[in-house]
Amino acid sequence: MRNRIFASLIILLIANTVVGQNRRRVDLSIPEVDRKDVICFALYTVHDQTLKLTAQLYPLKNDEARLARLEIKKEGNWVEVAQTEVIEQGWTAPFRVAKWDDANTWQYRVRHGEQAVYEGTIRRNPTDKDEIVVAGFTGNSIMPAHGGDISRQDILDNIQRINADILFFAGDQVYDHKRHYAAWLKFGRDFGDIIKDRPTICLPDDHDVGQPNLWGESGKISTLRGAADGGYAQPGLYVQEVERAQTSHLPDPADPHKIGQDISVYFTNLNWGNIDFAILEDRKFKTGPAGRVPKQGPRPDHIRNPEYDPVSVDVEGAILLGKRQLAFLKSWTQDWQNAKMKVALSQTIFCGGAHIHGSASGRLHADMDSNGWPQSGRNRAIDALRKGFAFHLAGDQHLATIFHHGVNEHRDAIWSFCVPSIANLYLRWWAPLEAGANREDNMPEYTGDHLDGFGNKVTNYAAANPEKKPAGNILNTRSAGFGIVRLNTKTREITMECWPRNVDITSDDAQQYPGWPRTISQLDNYHPRSWGKMKEFQFDYAHPVVQLVDNETDEVLYTIRAHNSFFTPHAPLNREFTIKVGKDSPDRVITTSAKAKK
Amino acid sequence: MTIQSDQAKAEASNWQTQVLEYCLRIGNFFCFAGWAWGHLYWEPSYASILWSEASFEWFQQFGYSWEEFTGTGANDGLIQKCIQWIGWICVANAVLSFTARRNSWIQLCLLTSGSLFMLAIAVAKYIRSGFELPMLIEQGGQILSPILLVMALSIGVRNRITTMTAIIAVMMTFGGHGLYAVGLWPTPATFVGMTRVVIGWDYDSSKLFLLVAGVLDFIVCFGVLIPFLRRSSALYAMIWGIVTAAARPVAGMSWELNYWGADQFLHESAYRAPHFFIPLFLYLYWTYTKVQHSFGSLTLETKDMTLPSTAK
Repeated sequence: MRNRIFASLIILLIANTVVGQNRRRVDLSIPEVDRKDVICFALYTVHDQTLKLTAQLYPLKNDEARLARLEIKKEGNWVEVAQTEVIEQGWTAPFRVAKWDDANTWQYRVRHGEQAVYEGTIRRNPTDKDEIVVAGFTGNSIMPAHGGDISRQDILDNIQRINADILFFAGDQVYDHKRHYAAWLKFGRDFGDIIKDRPTICLPDDHDVGQPNLWGESGKISTLRGAADGGYAQPGLYVQEVERAQTSHLPDPADPHKIGQDISVYFTNLNWGNIDFAILEDRKFKTGPAGRVPKQGPRPDHIRNPEYDPVSVDVEGAILLGKRQLAFLKSWTQDWQNAKMKVALSQTIFCGGAHIHGSASGRLHADMDSNGWPQSGRNRAIDALRKGFAFHLAGDQHLATIFHHGVNEHRDAIWSFCVPSIANLYLRWWAPLEAGANREDNMPEYTGDHLDGFGNKVTNYAAANPEKKPAGNILNTRSAGFGIVRLNTKTREITMECWPRNVDITSDDAQQYPGWPRTISQLDNYHPRSWGKMKEFQFDYAHPVVQLVDNETDEVLYTIRAHNSFFTPHAPLNREFTIKVGKDSPDRVITTSAKAKK
Repeated sequence: MTIQSDQAKAEASNWQTQVLEYCLRIGNFFCFAGWAWGHLYWEPSYASILWSEASFEWFQQFGYSWEEFTGTGANDGLIQKCIQWIGWICVANAVLSFTARRNSWIQLCLLTSGSLFMLAIAVAKYIRSGFELPMLIEQGGQILSPILLVMALSIGVRNRITTMTAIIAVMMTFGGHGLYAVGLWPTPATFVGMTRVVIGWDYDSSKLFLLVAGVLDFIVCFGVLIPFLRRSSALYAMIWGIVTAAARPVAGMSWELNYWGADQFLHESAYRAPHFFIPLFLYLYWTYTKVQHSFGSLTLETKDMTLPSTAK
């Protein structure tokens, strides 16, 4: 029997080569375009009255000018507002316009030479809207082996139907590890029609920068296959080009100092519609596990033994977000200027959110590619985010999930929504061996309180597990789709929607993945069950910023802009707090001896 | 039954023959030892392509269930077991590298099957690379290493077929590397990364260095065919094979890492042993032998190999 298996395995391998399965290389040839079409697409954000727009061009000819112009339509006339040099490596044209009037919507056009024009709309800041709609995407595979370049028209149509306010691409916009530029142009051709008219946040993840997994270690050079030794496998110049293309339109970096190989950082925040989005890079500083953690499986980043000791891999010195980003989050969670709600955006969620990996793969107890590792770094990150009641939106797992995270106890920290892949290349399942505790009524056994593979406390509420043998071997039927998050600044509610591909999501009979939609309150992002509550505080003005400071440790417990002109703080029992309030920042102490009761 | 030519018999007692033979034995040993480590201790890079629905459907025909295929976490799934079995086959071949005798057809057949396994691994890596031809070609030294040893034992180290096979192995290995290094196929990022880490150069200098190295790789491919160039080509190939094999641990290991990172990197040097032991074999062979080419045929003249007489 075993000899037959061996022989079959060898024949299978050779057959894959000879017969193939239509496994051609992806056709990423850059088309020759008319000069009037040399501007492929454009992305923009507006933050703090500064417009940043990056136009992506096709290759220019040697005799063509390296100058691009940005114009807006004012009172019926096109007016030039900025010029910029086209950066030849990657052919991007980054514009920055300060003192931008974000109270109005503007038609814009990017121009190059005499003929090339690309038009779009820069929306006004929707501060008057009660509900801000964020569309989230991840995993944009076009691999031929899994169906290839399937049309994205269904996504475009849906985004137009719901008129999403912001687009968030969480990572893996590009899967080709050597031809980012060509693949990025393809991405722009596919999504440009929705990108050009609304703020778009793009985060490059591992595949974007040309490797299967990324533990950036502040720009180290990786030399180990799989990059588990930490660092970037591709040269710094390649990474810089990727980040210029995908992130140069984001608001200015909060801390612009570069890392190794002259790679920039882009973590920052974007305030749009009174929602303050923290844009994080959860790979850039992360420690590589190879050689740092005891070997727990056949790969340095995989743990297959469920009996292992999670503490053994939480090695001292292992970094997740890093000091710079934690410092940024500390100030971000306390800054509620023009903000009513906070959302953190990063490449992936802060737990090991999958058990079974691969097309038909083995059970993987824990994967250090997930941000459940290192556990101490994960806890620091979540602790930082919950102080601002930040909801976390992310991707990369190829498995849509809703988790409520815990640090000291279950459910004492933030909620996260991992969106499904646009096209699902690498399947994952959330399939714990034991049923979750404290499940809601009639919920599947995989929901409820669990410990993830790293011993982190997580509570699952939904998982869009694919079929074990998914119907159709093509990308968009393998639990693929996209996520919608509706942030209601009036009710302070967050509604998560998870949609499959190829449905009209505005249709009455359209079905979301099981477990969605789910609505939570902003306050659910930091509301441990063990806490008590204080008396209600009344204020002279609506929506004050309230901050609690622990008298013993002098640490900020949390900061939030109140929903009304009154606020009932929740807090740990048996501790005393100072409460500060203010219109836009908590600069006035109203009590120094507040205590919570059960 | 013995498989042995008259020439092989004559060479059996020749110490230079022994040296040549052990070049191939040692190279083959480290190649399989490295791959054994890569299968038993780690998971080989091609494993991801085994995790496919096509594989599962094959195994379903043999009665395996989904749970048996994927494993429960407390036990290894079927693919992981297969990988382990392949690892033990590599161990067996590593042992055979030293134990195989010219008069044991069983061991020689098993060694030959080692080449089939190396071919399967090479094909898997080729698929995993996205069907990049140089990835397949550059495995030539590792694929042919077991067969080369079998040839040396059965028909003789100095047999033309043996030496031609060794030449082909060198040409494939260095040709494949050269295709990557000069950029005819996208240069693997690890080439540049290792160069930068080991030498400390910037990106542009490293790329230029690799370009030069790639050109030299092609020169080696032709040089081993030209009589007045072959020895120096083989010597350069041996040195460059050692350098490229050593680059992995030199670039990756560090005092701070568990086991200094040796468990991550040393086996990658080991399974590249044929990249320098086969050129060493050729270099020594051509050093021991003076070859004269006549028009249309090869004439082999051997130096006097007899040991000096100790008779008084």
